[in-house]
Amino acid sequence: MKFRIFRSAEDQTGAGAADPTESVRMGGQVLPEATSSKAASAVEARLEDATPVSGPTVVATPPTGPIKIAARDVSVFYDGKQALYDVSLDIPDKTVTALIGPSGCGKSTFLRTMNRMNDTIAGCKVTGRIAMDDEDINDRSIDPVLLRARVGMVFQRPNPFPKSIYENVAYGPKIHGLVSAKSEMDGVVESALKRAGLWEEVADRLQSSAMGLSGGQQQRLVIARAIAVNPEVILMDEPCSALDPIATARIEELIDELRERFCIVIVTHSMAQAARVSQRTAFFHMGRLVETGDTEDIFQNPRERRTLDYITGRFG
Amino acid sequence: MTDATPDHIDGAAAKGRLDRLRAGLKRRHAKETRFKWYGRLAIAAAMIFLAILMVRIVAQGHTAFYTHTVTVPVYMDPARVDRAYPQGSNFEQLAAEQQLKRWGIQDDAAGDASRQMKALFSSELKFVAADLVAKRSDVIGETVPLAVPLSDEADLYLKGEISKETPEDQRRLTDQQLAWLDRMQAEGVVGSHFNTALFTNGDSTQPELAGVLGAVVGSALMLMVTALIAIPLGVGAAVWLEEFAPKNKLTDIIEVNINNLAAVPSIVYGLLGLALFINWMHLPRASPIVGGLVLALMALPTLVIATRSALKAVPPSIREAALAMGASKTQTVFSHVLPLAMPGVMTGAIISMAHALGETAPLLLIGMVSFVPGVPHAIDQPVGALPSLIYIWENASERAFHERTAAAIIVLLVFMIIMNTAAIILRRRFERRW
Repeated sequence: MKFRIFRSAEDQTGAGAADPTESVRMGGQVLPEATSSKAASAVEARLEDATPVSGPTVVATPPTGPIKIAARDVSVFYDGKQALYDVSLDIPDKTVTALIGPSGCGKSTFLRTMNRMNDTIAGCKVTGRIAMDDEDINDRSIDPVLLRARVGMVFQRPNPFPKSIYENVAYGPKIHGLVSAKSEMDGVVESALKRAGLWEEVADRLQSSAMGLSGGQQQRLVIARAIAVNPEVILMDEPCSALDPIATARIEELIDELRERFCIVIVTHSMAQAARVSQRTAFFHMGRLVETGDTEDIFQNPRERRTLDYITGRFG
Repeated sequence: MTDATPDHIDGAAAKGRLDRLRAGLKRRHAKETRFKWYGRLAIAAAMIFLAILMVRIVAQGHTAFYTHTVTVPVYMDPARVDRAYPQGSNFEQLAAEQQLKRWGIQDDAAGDASRQMKALFSSELKFVAADLVAKRSDVIGETVPLAVPLSDEADLYLKGEISKETPEDQRRLTDQQLAWLDRMQAEGVVGSHFNTALFTNGDSTQPELAGVLGAVVGSALMLMVTALIAIPLGVGAAVWLEEFAPKNKLTDIIEVNINNLAAVPSIVYGLLGLALFINWMHLPRASPIVGGLVLALMALPTLVIATRSALKAVPPSIREAALAMGASKTQTVFSHVLPLAMPGVMTGAIISMAHALGETAPLLLIGMVSFVPGVPHAIDQPVGALPSLIYIWENASERAFHERTAAAIIVLLVFMIIMNTAAIILRRRFERRW
């Protein structure tokens, strides 16, 4: 079967609602476990009902390999205003997954649900289930501090701490109590900087301010800072949008190397970048996940009209 | 412009457009120049007022920094000096009579001449002589030279602030006294020197003996209490409100109230302090502890507002970076946000402390306007403060206090300059760390 349709919230309620927002609200009440049992006919009925904007996610090719993060019916509300509608997405391990889509489509919002950074925004509510290694990360028993030690994040603008290069990298291991001895810390800092491809450039000035580095170096430093705690997942929110082409190329190279050890999710505005660095791509539009699949497949053979329009530059 | 339009018309239109742009440009430049001049004028006006203030204060106060001392030989007459109780002896009268005798002036029956002579010496003479006798009783029967300050009026005359041209009945020194002072100066027994008493003495009813030390110590003790209470409380409140507090009705009300409190007249804080700390808590009146508490209450809103704006100025990306690294909220605030906000927090703290240092109105209500001689050394004793000392001296009837008022203002300003300099140096340190 080439097409696989994720079951969405409406199916369990049995309400083939004409108003998609209404059904979403009802769907939000349903326990995630309930999603596992439902009739195939309901899925088909829903396909016919679907308007182009609220259509179900098309899975062009299902992911191969173990799934690291499984999101089911994730909706996000900012002060009651819905920004993300029922996103269900499987993110495989040791793979780069690119989230693409026009501005305001919810891809960054979705990215931030995966390390619960949305918790820090007042009035933000997340519904649905996000499981990392089959464990609901929104569960009460999960401490966001611990979660963020497992899920690192790199932001759009390089945001090193205004401290020394060394302190930036050592910060994570220090606060999480992973490393205590100074000599051990030196090794951790060195290996993180080496893996981030920055060691050669900063080895002789580890104690100087991180603010003195160039934008590209700062971004690699931030990546080194994120991998110093050995996370399982690295989230990247447009990591190259503030960088020049040469620095961008270095970061992309780095992402490709890091893929061997980490599960990487990258939000990008650049279709070319998505095509270059990712193996899986998810296309978001107006708060919905429209289509997902292997990157090659999405770019060469999109199933959805909107995906085709976006990747060929007809909108967005 | 459509494609169909002929080229020459297009050219003319383009020229017209350019002319309009140019005309507008001239107006814009004129506006900019005007604005620059407004700015310069405003700065100039401010500088002129500052200069006038400074010049006036220095002109009025600089004379208080030196004073005149007269050296008079005093024969310690065994008949008139009580060995057992030297404080009881009338040394001033003794010195005056001997001075008259040396000059061959006959004292009249009413003792008018010796009274006038006595008025030229500071009452300090009595204490200097009594101290000497108490320490070395062998001076009795000998003639010893005593160096004593001139009285305030005599000092003013020598400083040229009392003119001989002024009719005699309009000044406090008689023609005869002025003549004597001239004669003393001619004999070279009068010397002028730096007025150390101004810095080593507490307040006194005698201007030539009055000093600011008591008030400086009082102000310093008070400021210490204020800083110890206001800075931790204010910074803590600001951090909680800005970083931790949920945004709801209650915190909104708190925020509005803090802003309102910053605008409450300081005298109201004085009333509050009087009611709360003195009448209810029975803390000692006019003590640095009460003064410090009142000033801390007054400084808190300013401090909270300044700290909050410093915290707001820290880029959110730093918070995100720390949180995304798995730092807890507290770790984020205390190891990243607060250090970055530190220069702003310290500026706020110093400004509110400087404000507290110069505040007078609340001190009047908690009794700090009373005359306190001597130098305080504990926070539960009655003290004076610099601003209230200025207020007291300004109201004093002795003319010599007026120059000392200006001198006290100079001391207060220097105090503030030292504080601000310390703040700037500290801030540089903090900023240069990275």
